[in-house]
Amino acid sequence: MTTTDGNSKGADNTAVEITELGVDFGSVTALADVSLSIDDGEFFTLVGPSGCGKTTLLRSIAGLETPSRGSVSLGGQDVTDEPPEERNVGIVFQDYSLFPHLSVAENVAYGLQFHDLSESRDTEARVTELLELVDLAGFSDREPGQLSGGQKQRVALARALAPEPDVLLLDEPLSALDAQLRKELRVQIKTIQRDLGITTVYVTHDQAEALAISDRIAVMRNGRLQQVDTPETVYRQPASRAVAEFIGDNNVFEGNVADDGRHLDVGGTLVPLPEGGNRAAGQSRTVSIRPEALSVTDGQRADAPTLSARVETVEFLGDAYRVHCRWNDRSIVVKTAATTPPEGAVDLQFDAEDVHILEPQRSGSTRSNSVRQGGPSANQ
Amino acid sequence: MRPKASRLLPVGVAAMLATLVAVFYYPVGSVLSSAIYAGGRLTVDPLVAVLGDPFYTGAAHSLVTDPASVPGGVVGWIDAGMPRVEFGLFGFTAYQALLSTVVSVAVGLPGAYLLARFEFPGRAFLRSVTILPFVMPSILVAVGFLAMFGYTGVVNDLLGLVGLGPLELVGTLKVIILAHAFYNAPLVTRLVTAAWESVDTRRVETARTLGASPLQAFRDVTLPQLVPAVLTSAVLTFIFTFMSFPIVLALGGLELATVEVWLFSRVQNLALAEAATLGAIETALSLGLIYVYLRFEATQISAHGEGRTRARTPLFVGWRSLVDPRRVGLLAYSLVAGVLFVGPLASLVIESLTTPDGAFTLDYYAFLIAQQASAAVGTVQPLAAITNSLLFGVGALLLALPMGVLVSVVATRESRGSRLAEALLTAPLAVSGIVLGLGMLRTLVFGTTAFGHRLTITGPVVIVAVHAVAAYPFVTRNVTPALSGIDDRLVDAARSLGASRSTALVDIELPLIVPALVAGAAFAFAISIGEFDSTVLLAEGVDSATMPVALERYTANRSLGPNLGPATAMGTVLLAVTIVSFVFIDRAGRRWER
Repeated sequence: MTTTDGNSKGADNTAVEITELGVDFGSVTALADVSLSIDDGEFFTLVGPSGCGKTTLLRSIAGLETPSRGSVSLGGQDVTDEPPEERNVGIVFQDYSLFPHLSVAENVAYGLQFHDLSESRDTEARVTELLELVDLAGFSDREPGQLSGGQKQRVALARALAPEPDVLLLDEPLSALDAQLRKELRVQIKTIQRDLGITTVYVTHDQAEALAISDRIAVMRNGRLQQVDTPETVYRQPASRAVAEFIGDNNVFEGNVADDGRHLDVGGTLVPLPEGGNRAAGQSRTVSIRPEALSVTDGQRADAPTLSARVETVEFLGDAYRVHCRWNDRSIVVKTAATTPPEGAVDLQFDAEDVHILEPQRSGSTRSNSVRQGGPSANQ
Repeated sequence: MRPKASRLLPVGVAAMLATLVAVFYYPVGSVLSSAIYAGGRLTVDPLVAVLGDPFYTGAAHSLVTDPASVPGGVVGWIDAGMPRVEFGLFGFTAYQALLSTVVSVAVGLPGAYLLARFEFPGRAFLRSVTILPFVMPSILVAVGFLAMFGYTGVVNDLLGLVGLGPLELVGTLKVIILAHAFYNAPLVTRLVTAAWESVDTRRVETARTLGASPLQAFRDVTLPQLVPAVLTSAVLTFIFTFMSFPIVLALGGLELATVEVWLFSRVQNLALAEAATLGAIETALSLGLIYVYLRFEATQISAHGEGRTRARTPLFVGWRSLVDPRRVGLLAYSLVAGVLFVGPLASLVIESLTTPDGAFTLDYYAFLIAQQASAAVGTVQPLAAITNSLLFGVGALLLALPMGVLVSVVATRESRGSRLAEALLTAPLAVSGIVLGLGMLRTLVFGTTAFGHRLTITGPVVIVAVHAVAAYPFVTRNVTPALSGIDDRLVDAARSLGASRSTALVDIELPLIVPALVAGAAFAFAISIGEFDSTVLLAEGVDSATMPVALERYTANRSLGPNLGPATAMGTVLLAVTIVSFVFIDRAGRRWER
């Protein structure tokens, strides 16, 4: 279990290598044999609903969880049996976890006593440098109790970065903050990460946050990886129904391929399928179409596929309306930039290319590069 | 859950268990086993001898000696018009404990109502003072009651001023029960106040909006949360008063002896076998009672709820206070409670400063300081007793602190650990100090053979060990909540920054529990300073007598003077030390609550 996987990329640019890692809590499997590799300098996000195993995976990388199976390598070194203090990772938790009996500067300096700094800088200079990095210059002597939530989280970030960790681990760092602050701080984290070029593993349950800041995303569910890819690919080409429904708003329909092999029969209405790929008539298929790919029209584009629907509820979003419609006894959501809310009977038009065919279950990892699914039933 | 837990922990646990076996389980076990093991074989003879003796079990003795006669006896008793039945020493012990419990609950409940529902100057102070009896040596309370109700006490002095009295109150059950109430009513008040304050005001408000009157809302929402606290404190009071020793010894003597006092007198008369059997039966009874207590405690609703405490009503609202029957009742209660709780302590101080004629004097304090070169052989030296108490207190503290912290660490770090810790903590509570002291006498003091060597441990070492065993549960009870209140992620964060598990314990966890450590240490010190039950047996020689032992000797030995003078002076010193400990407990405890 301690040998590095032979199939992994070269140790030169792989910062984190997870090989068939499993974590059991009693009879509950929190993490089911996950394999994953994260590149040097990459901003990698683990996203999924609560209880999906993302925090367990993060804590396993930090050495705060004892794996039941598999291995963790950092920078080509197998660290599976190393305690957290031997791994040179920095971690930031949701509720800040600042040491309440130490000042801001003492918090940031805490990790420095255990590390030899790469350059000959004294502790004080390093603390000042980091507090400037997180825009908290002059806060050295404050007590954690005197800080706001956003300030506490920036101190926690500075504390984690101070000993120059190889990997930065962020466990829902923004979840305790209000919406506006969350957006500001997320930009700041992204900027700092890019400037330092530090490998970062970020855990969140907020799919919008994951899309916004990541180089790559791993969507998790029930202790397994569902899809690992760039935000764009995960959004546009979800690997499974679960991913399609978790990432962003989506409309998902099931039907059977019509006799021509180019349409899907959804409750009696023929929905055109995109080009490419043979589809045998009668096969059961699931498709998704994004709300913004649908437009509310009076049927102007005669050539475009059209769904006749009825408006039920309209939400005003500021820059658009989200329109909840009824079509063929199904719910369908449309996002439209119209200046007035649509009502009554409407035609919903789209391009066949915007229809995405979700791969049938048990399809393996065709869409994920560098992912090896642990078990055959990865998508349940 | 964390990898590579410190190897120090198992070593510490092993050392602690070995200590407990040596100074607790082995001595106590030797007492208990002698009740069923004699002459090299198992036997029920000692148990039958005690349980079948009408002196111990009264009318119930025939259940053991002649079970067949019981139905006939009951019929005969009913025919005779159900006359008063004697149930012997055990019956009397239970009877006085029951009366004490009823009085303690009756005195404690209005206090809880006052503290939980009313706001007035000094409320916070009063609330924290309810912890004081926990740390107040019971022999001190007994001497306080002697000073107040004794033949030359303050009450009789006051009665004399108006031409009444003197009354002979000492030696009556009434004074014993009052002294028990002094001790246990604050416990009732404390537990019930905490339960009352944890009642979420929003639940009461919800009940009111649903149509309940204030009284109905109290009955349906508040009362169900109070009942478990009342029952818990009542059972605890019953246990404490069933096993009460110094108060009954000093205020009742052998005429009103309880099991514990009789056990003590058996040991003094060197009837050790009978004492051991008695101790075994008493321990079995108290274990049963503690089981009941733990069952009740489990039904308690956590006092650390999320809810908001209801706003308190001002107690004083100008002249209108005097026409509101509720407030008049509470003021009357406050007067009675003030006399009951302040009276004995004030009397103690007053008597220590006055001659029997009522003149001011410092002679008794001079007696404490003077070297008693001329004192009769066998008299406890006062100054030595004071230094002994302080030294033993520090020794017990140094031993109890690591023991208590260790149990806390085990209890908070592993789920299995908390059950073990609970068992470790409860055992000392179930065994009376007399039984432990007797066990120590039988084993370590008289000597025991191990590995071919005869081991004898005596004097201060044994006393300090016994005090530490009595004290460490209080350290744990203070430290465990503080330790488990620390967010695990603080330790996680420290470790990811490079600290080892033990470095994180020293850097992060220990600084955060300093207030709890101080409170626990002060508790341990106070328990040691006040420990009487075991010490009085183990300090047979006058050299290792402590302040509580000296107090008892001075009370019993009137050759030192016609009144309580030396005892009250010594008691006042002990009171001062206790109050200093209390201040530490209170300050440190409150820093944590914030």
